[in-house]
Amino acid sequence: MKSGRRVQKKEKTKRAILKAALELFAAKGFYATTTKAISKKAKIGEGTLFNYFETKEDLALYFLEEELAGVMDWHRTNKRLKKADLAEKLFAIIQHLLERLEPYEEFIGAVYMRALTPTSKLSPFSLEAQDRHLRYLRFIREILLEAEANGEIPAVGDFGAYAFGLFQLAILTHWLRDQSRGKEQTLALLDRCLKMATHFLRNGGWNW
Amino acid sequence: MKASQKNGALARGFRIGKLGFGLVGSYLGYQAQNLVLSESGRTERRARFHKKAAQQVSGELGALKGSMMKLGQLLSMQSGVLPEEALRELAALQMHAPGMHASLARAQFKASMGKFPEDVFREFDPEPFAAASLGQVHRAVTRKGENVAVKIQYPAIRSAIENDFKMVRSATFAPQLTGHLPTAAIDEVQRGIMEETDYVNEAKNLKFFREQLADIEWVTVPRVYEEFSSDRTLTMQFVEGRTLGRFLETKPSQKVRDLIGARLVELFEIQTTYLKAFHADPQPGNYLFQPDGGIGMIDFGCVKRLSVDWREFRRLHDEWGWRESEAAERRFLKIICGPNVPYEKARKVLPDLEAWWELKHPRGSGDYFYGQKIEPLLKKKIDAAKARAARTIFQNKLIEPEYTFLSRADMGLCFLLEQLGAVVNISEITRRVDAGPKTFKAIDS
Repeated sequence: MKSGRRVQKKEKTKRAILKAALELFAAKGFYATTTKAISKKAKIGEGTLFNYFETKEDLALYFLEEELAGVMDWHRTNKRLKKADLAEKLFAIIQHLLERLEPYEEFIGAVYMRALTPTSKLSPFSLEAQDRHLRYLRFIREILLEAEANGEIPAVGDFGAYAFGLFQLAILTHWLRDQSRGKEQTLALLDRCLKMATHFLRNGGWNW
Repeated sequence: MKASQKNGALARGFRIGKLGFGLVGSYLGYQAQNLVLSESGRTERRARFHKKAAQQVSGELGALKGSMMKLGQLLSMQSGVLPEEALRELAALQMHAPGMHASLARAQFKASMGKFPEDVFREFDPEPFAAASLGQVHRAVTRKGENVAVKIQYPAIRSAIENDFKMVRSATFAPQLTGHLPTAAIDEVQRGIMEETDYVNEAKNLKFFREQLADIEWVTVPRVYEEFSSDRTLTMQFVEGRTLGRFLETKPSQKVRDLIGARLVELFEIQTTYLKAFHADPQPGNYLFQPDGGIGMIDFGCVKRLSVDWREFRRLHDEWGWRESEAAERRFLKIICGPNVPYEKARKVLPDLEAWWELKHPRGSGDYFYGQKIEPLLKKKIDAAKARAARTIFQNKLIEPEYTFLSRADMGLCFLLEQLGAVVNISEITRRVDAGPKTFKAIDS
């Protein structure tokens, strides 16, 4: 019980740090914000901050992890989506993620630039990032398995979830540069790509 | 779907894709994708059906086509400049967008209105109940409990159409330079399509017609809810009634059919005579019919302004007024052919028109009735004469755009009356409208 409470308290501190960091990122930008400023805002010592997050990149990773967890919770409680077809389910998942990220667009842009550096922890191909995304990828894998069981698509194996991860990244790229009102270009792109992909999967357009 | 068919659709997709603007930048790209996506060629079959229907119409009334078809004709004269598909799609009178599932419709509502439908309405049906120009219509209930219809446009589709026009412009640079394809013609068609698909413009039209037709108790023009509308979302009062096909399934009596037929004609006459603007989309889906003969007018995307004096046109046309003097003949031809066609050339059409009308409604034969039984031999003769007149007009390019739209609306009205099986005394209605209370205001006054 005691250790459970300790985990809870740790989680609370982590969230408080993230909240402080996000406010500063929004005000000053990702690069200009120092760890010192973050610890001051979160009312903790800089040393304590390092116990939780070694770098700002770790903070960003934690942020993404939290958002992805939020998407998973949202999906699990959405009853209407359970009856939707695969294309709509996947659409709703990415669209909901973008919805959550909307207030932090500038921060995401900075993280994205940083992620392009080969040595960055934020790179989607880094071990750290992949490790943290495992839960999310398993969640996607479950959805794909369900569609496989319904006969909506043929068996795609783990590759399906991995491909989805890359696709999500591509959509995020489009979303970041999308200047259309309400980012509706991204909505159209998302809709069309998913419709095409599920169509090809269903009809065996490609050999897997 | 046969393999060859599928390849055909794919190949077409890629061909159009080459001209396109990336994945979301082209309306034609959407059409190509729809072909690929079609389950067992359903969409393709539908496309073939549309084409066949279009051919029937154009065969019958060759000259009397919409301005978009006119662009198609202009461009096809430059054969080889553009793929056939691009022309056909852009020239199509009705624009179709891919369907939206509930999640996309919800997200697009937010993209255009800044809030999700559930944050704005008490209830919102995620399933659409009708298709609309480039979008779909959902039922909803406002916080105050009012039933509304919410029309949502597919995301980014108007900019996709604009891109296609850029493509048309760049691909037809040479013929534009030489003047074979007037740039103004492309401008006009583009302006028309963009206007028809702009929901702000449609809301304006709705308001105008609602105000003007408010005193006629048997017609309903829905109220616009501006607070829930933008250029891509249009929220209107929900209008009760059935579309033509569904209405006919209820087997309405001949009396009700005749009543509705007469009212449709009256509405057309009021619009052309007094409002100087008319609902120019002949689609039967734009009307809703109620059991007591009430009519709901929906979808005001395509409204055209009228510059001719309709009473004068009626007199010249229906009462053979153009035969009275050369001046009358000149005025009449100006209305049909426009001011730019020389009198000598325009005159060519008169013998054919006269022969047609003489068969259809001989001089001195009293009131003109629509829908009366005609013996088959006479009907054949009338149709042949009509086709001859249309050919003459078409071959000599004797047609004014405004008259084209009038003909299109008239054609739509005739189609509705025919489907209804209504018998209508047209002359009686025109007399009544002419004499009736003139409380209407013209659109630009």
